[in-house]
Amino acid sequence: MLIAQITDTHIKSPGRLSYGKVDTCLYLWQCVNHINALLPRPDVVLVTGDITDFGRQEEYVQAGLLFEQLAMPYFLIPGNHDLSDEMRVEFNDHSYMPSHGFIQYVIEDFPIRMIGLDTTVSGQPYGLMCKERLNWLEKQLMSQPNKPTLLFMHHPPFKTGIEHMDVQNCRNADALGRLVEHHPQIKYVLCGHVHRQIEIAWHGTLCAIGPSPAHAVALDLSPKGDSAFRLEPRAIKLLYWNGTDLIGHLSFIGGYEGPYPFFDNDGLLIE
Amino acid sequence: MIQETNATKIRLVNCSKTFEDGTHALNPINLEIKGGETVVLLGPSGCGKTTTLRMIAGLESPDAGGQIFFGDEDVTQKPIEQRNVGMVFQSYALFPNMSVRQNIAYGMKIRKTPKNKLDHRVDEMLNMMRIDELQHRMIDQLSGGQRQRVALARAIATRPRVLLLDEPLTALDAFLRENLRVEIDQLLRQLGITAVYVTHDQGEAMALGDRIVVMDHGDVAQVGTPRDIYFKPCNAFVADFIGTVNRLSGLVADGWLTVTGGTLSFAGKNGKAEVLFRPEEARVCPISEANLVGNVETSYFLGDRTKILIKNISDDLIIIETSGREQYEKGESIGIFVQSENLILAHSQGDN
Repeated sequence: MLIAQITDTHIKSPGRLSYGKVDTCLYLWQCVNHINALLPRPDVVLVTGDITDFGRQEEYVQAGLLFEQLAMPYFLIPGNHDLSDEMRVEFNDHSYMPSHGFIQYVIEDFPIRMIGLDTTVSGQPYGLMCKERLNWLEKQLMSQPNKPTLLFMHHPPFKTGIEHMDVQNCRNADALGRLVEHHPQIKYVLCGHVHRQIEIAWHGTLCAIGPSPAHAVALDLSPKGDSAFRLEPRAIKLLYWNGTDLIGHLSFIGGYEGPYPFFDNDGLLIE
Repeated sequence: MIQETNATKIRLVNCSKTFEDGTHALNPINLEIKGGETVVLLGPSGCGKTTTLRMIAGLESPDAGGQIFFGDEDVTQKPIEQRNVGMVFQSYALFPNMSVRQNIAYGMKIRKTPKNKLDHRVDEMLNMMRIDELQHRMIDQLSGGQRQRVALARAIATRPRVLLLDEPLTALDAFLRENLRVEIDQLLRQLGITAVYVTHDQGEAMALGDRIVVMDHGDVAQVGTPRDIYFKPCNAFVADFIGTVNRLSGLVADGWLTVTGGTLSFAGKNGKAEVLFRPEEARVCPISEANLVGNVETSYFLGDRTKILIKNISDDLIIIETSGREQYEKGESIGIFVQSENLILAHSQGDN
């Protein structure tokens, strides 16, 4: 089974560029086409927040028109740029989304169980796993302790070294970490928010952030590094479940040379 | 067009239904379903589609004078257990105290099917619906999608003459619905069974039906292939129910329809009229060549196309799609050309 992640698409009102620079609508469309054209084709897409830039209704309508073109099921959770109510209005046929409260849910019906977490705090850029959300998660994990499980959430529960992003990561992460430690069925924790591929061994599992199909947060590990973005090669994260392990890959969006063969017709390495 | 097969034909003759409390659910309908055909009964709730299905099943009987035939056999007086129909409901209706295997075997068991034959058939069903590994699970350990697979397996296990499906996907989430819909479609083709499928979801109807029966307030509004229903809807209700449709309200005078945004040639009776057209029947053009002019309300990027919402042409927003990626400013004037020959008359003064 193959899972694709789309994260931090920051869709703007029609005709507008993000930060006057980034054509996020075009990039999402190219990303959708890229995923639809992958072979094997991903079975499911997880959309890990910051779907829109300002949470406006017309941004969601625009985003929905592009996500609808995915050839496989997709599941959305909010990020700090999203507004839950507006999101629910646009995706009102996504019956897995609870009609009120946090947008978190469990996806059954796939070989790996996927749990979407809502880390958002209204009006704040940072995230939080509060007691209520942790209790909910614990209940879900206890109900099927033996089924391999993936958690996906917007804010990463760890520091990346990019300071201006780290101040808005997921708070109360230690409590989440302790819960994760008690549930070895969790094979992977997939996040967004930082617009880069980043990973950490975390509380007995792997926690990773996937890149955005649009702009990247500039890689600046210096203390007090500037908040800035770059237009780097665009990519998505793919998670391949082979029945026992979840393996992370990156897939770059766009036309690249190749594939070229390693071997000639006689099976010899091409000189 | 579906090939006629040996599968059972269904014929409803003059079937109406009034319930004991006086509720009139269905006006007399006549309907022929070919052997092996999948017919979808489509309409909003209360249109009579479920009542029609239940009459075919034998769960309701038509009012006096109505007749139902399976092939040449008049089954009007026969109860459901003598009609040999398989049924799948929205609510699964599985036995929670039995395993998947026992549920699938149930129908054959009460028919006293010999053990070895029964086991063989259950295995076949488990295999066909790809639920082998769930066979010993109890129903409450299954997800919605798995339950509906079990319900399908149970319904076809007894080799029914006719398969009846009542909103089987409605309780599932959108994605599972899509997947299972494809599976049901393949299953029906594979079995070649006559199937009647009830839904309120036009997408499902378009995808599954050899023919669609659109129902409205206890009447059949239109019967046709998905293409017929989409391109040649017989009235505004059908046009509205399937797909996106634009609505122009105006005045017809001497072969011209005038609306706020312009004038179109239209051969209709003089007086007030409401006509409909599909977004794909119109194109953006220079204002000098346009037959309708309005102002851009908003536009959405669809990748290879742009969807434009236009106001000031008629009372409702007009939605059209254009290839390529033009940027449209909110409020900017925009001209469109609508092919007059593809206008659908919804109402004219003569009608109401």
